[in-house]
Amino acid sequence: MNYPLWVVPDLGGSWVIGIISIIHIFISHFAVGGGIYLAFAEQLAYKRKDERIYNFLKSHSRFFVLLTTVAGAVTGVGIWFSVSLVSPDGIASLIQCFTLAWAEEYLFFVAELATAFAYYYTWDRISREQHLLLARLYAIFSVFTLVIINGVLTFMLTPGKWLSSHWWFDGVFNPTYFPSLAIRLLIMLAIAGMYALVTCTRIEEPKFRTFMVRYCAKWLLPVFLLGPVCMLWFLSQVPHSVLGTIFTGIQNSGVGNFSILARALYISLVLSGTILLFAFFGPFLNPRGFTFKVAILFMICGFAATGTTEWMREMLRKPYVVYNYIYSNGIHKDEIEKIADEGFLHRGKWSTALTAATPTDEFHNGEIVFRYQCMACHTEKGYRSMKKLLGQRDEQAIISFLQILRERDPQKNNYSNIMPPLAANDAEMKSLAKYLASINTDEREKNTAHRSPASDHSISMK
Amino acid sequence: MVSESSQSRNGNFLQKFLKERLPVEELQHLAEKKKVPVHKHSVWYYMGGIAAVLFAIQVITGVLLMVYYVPEINSAHASILKINSQINFGWFIRSLHSWSANLMIAVVIIHLFSTYFMKAYRAPREFTWWTGLVMLVVCLAFGFTGYLLPWDDVSFFATKIGLDVASKIPAIGGLIAYMLRGGDIVSQATISRFFMIHVAVLPLVTLAVLGAHMFFIQVHGIAEPAFFKKLPEEKRKYEKFFPEFMFKDILVWLLAANVLFVLTMLWPWGIGPEADPFAAAPLGIKPEWYFLAPFQFLKLIPPMVGPIEGELFGIILMSLVGLGFVLVPIYDTGVSESRSKISTAFGTFVLLGVILFSLWGALS
Repeated sequence: MNYPLWVVPDLGGSWVIGIISIIHIFISHFAVGGGIYLAFAEQLAYKRKDERIYNFLKSHSRFFVLLTTVAGAVTGVGIWFSVSLVSPDGIASLIQCFTLAWAEEYLFFVAELATAFAYYYTWDRISREQHLLLARLYAIFSVFTLVIINGVLTFMLTPGKWLSSHWWFDGVFNPTYFPSLAIRLLIMLAIAGMYALVTCTRIEEPKFRTFMVRYCAKWLLPVFLLGPVCMLWFLSQVPHSVLGTIFTGIQNSGVGNFSILARALYISLVLSGTILLFAFFGPFLNPRGFTFKVAILFMICGFAATGTTEWMREMLRKPYVVYNYIYSNGIHKDEIEKIADEGFLHRGKWSTALTAATPTDEFHNGEIVFRYQCMACHTEKGYRSMKKLLGQRDEQAIISFLQILRERDPQKNNYSNIMPPLAANDAEMKSLAKYLASINTDEREKNTAHRSPASDHSISMK
Repeated sequence: MVSESSQSRNGNFLQKFLKERLPVEELQHLAEKKKVPVHKHSVWYYMGGIAAVLFAIQVITGVLLMVYYVPEINSAHASILKINSQINFGWFIRSLHSWSANLMIAVVIIHLFSTYFMKAYRAPREFTWWTGLVMLVVCLAFGFTGYLLPWDDVSFFATKIGLDVASKIPAIGGLIAYMLRGGDIVSQATISRFFMIHVAVLPLVTLAVLGAHMFFIQVHGIAEPAFFKKLPEEKRKYEKFFPEFMFKDILVWLLAANVLFVLTMLWPWGIGPEADPFAAAPLGIKPEWYFLAPFQFLKLIPPMVGPIEGELFGIILMSLVGLGFVLVPIYDTGVSESRSKISTAFGTFVLLGVILFSLWGALS
């Protein structure tokens, strides 16, 4: 409400952030895991005195450095850019908490970039010991970028003691910090192995190819051995109400938003199981039959698993940006009551300006409330379409529904686990209802002409 | 060392145990002897396996659904609602069943056309081809009978229309439709018949026909396309069915299962309002996608074509296309180049027709 908002029709702003973030997360995990892989594989080359591994790593690192530095940096900036436009109030709160942490992360990122370029451009130009040292430094710097950013990401779901102390240290080392760090490191090793499998399929010498394909497949082993334990550890630290949302979807209808977490969990588990079986029946049991195309499919599975799991992690903290502190639409939890009494539109600088010219225009005011309070998650007719969700409700029915959404007592508001309460006074609620009723006008009109005459159902109807 | 020797002892014991009771060596020899051609169209060899996996998923999920489904006119719809909203994992199992059914039909159709264009119907594989055609008909019958069982308004009217069309078949159509309905109208008798056919008759027919299909594949091996056969022997590449092709097949199955799971999660199967036989049909009712092409084709034919009723004329034309697929192994034996080209043109014409009419039906 204090900033202008970016309207993304159909797709919705949250998906703009989501798409960029998923690509960035995959690349950044790959950058960290790949750094560790390069260091270990180079050490293996020296230990086995195998020039073939050394030469393989030279070509392997070319695309690796290019992808992680260029695509990683572009998508990283893309996240900042899109989040600032879509959820400015939310990101403002995070920046206030973690200014120092982000500054440190930036330093490690610059060090990571510098060592990555130095590593790539010094093949055969410095001694092998020095080159191995560069590989290890790159791995350490990239791990430290994770060590810091993991604090911010986990803080959003489990702020823990920070809610009372407001000390950044409590925010970073929150209840899910360590289990999340462990899981992410395991996933990073797996992604590194998956990418290396792609490049290994280009090796022409059959025996060496088989050796390398099997070596890369082993990088997936840690995540499958330790991943489930770490995941249970992670879930044990997550608020109980969040876990309840997952199990609602298991027990109840699979259709609708209540089951979305359960469905995402299934996809994540199925994709992870697929990757395990794929790794076993593909590169491990049949390294010769593991071709470039199959390796690409394997990577796509990994990408899908990462994307789904990250999306699920984001969904876990809904309806909050920071759990129990600030809602996904940028409104602080402790402000809701005051807003319900005093009104929403005049609280923020930008929302006040937007409604100043037409203070009595109910439709316009309703649209402004919709943009600030609903559009963080919904669109009019696209993703999480209001038109579809409202169905055939008329204005009065929408008001009744909004009254439920305005309730702060979970007993009276079934949606309190997945949606922020409506923060609006009576007049603003009616304005919002008027605006929403204009979105689904054609749905209601369709209802009146829903059925055809009784006799008109034969195949010969023209 | 101790653990290695004990593992080896256990392995030897298991091998000995199995060898004494089963023809393990013969089976292994058979699987290793079987070879799969490697060429640019090899991807089509995986379709049959995918269809089989999807069928297996349907058998398992179908058995689970039977625990709660009630094939009774006043309870059928309510039992599906209960599965969808009250039974743990119920919606998941039902969506898996419905999606795998649709995917299986799609894969079987792709398998049929890929086999057709690779000319795999030619001697000595005529029986493999014919049993494959029967399998497609059985799959469509699975789809048609299963569609009615939730007893919602769309399934009721779609079944009614389907049976009305079937009744137009000369001589036997009326009797078949009457027997399937269990009378003149779609009612409790129809649900009972469709349920029995869906869960008992068709699975048994599938076992027999699929068994025969697999047997013929074992006897004749995997078909090689004409361009591959013309290659000099040193340029023809093969891989062993076991383990090379088998392991790749497993990977493809896994990917297919993933597509199925993702579809199930992202678009779980819903259910419409309960069927009301006395109500008007919902506006713009359409059959399932795999019946859209004949549905749209029949809609285009005028009420009378000369002295013949339009729908009957359409059915005769579609039957002739079907007959063409049945007779193609006899017509195109591989001896005549012109016949081969005509067969390819015929298949292309039918494939394009199916795609065009399906899209037209979906969009209209």
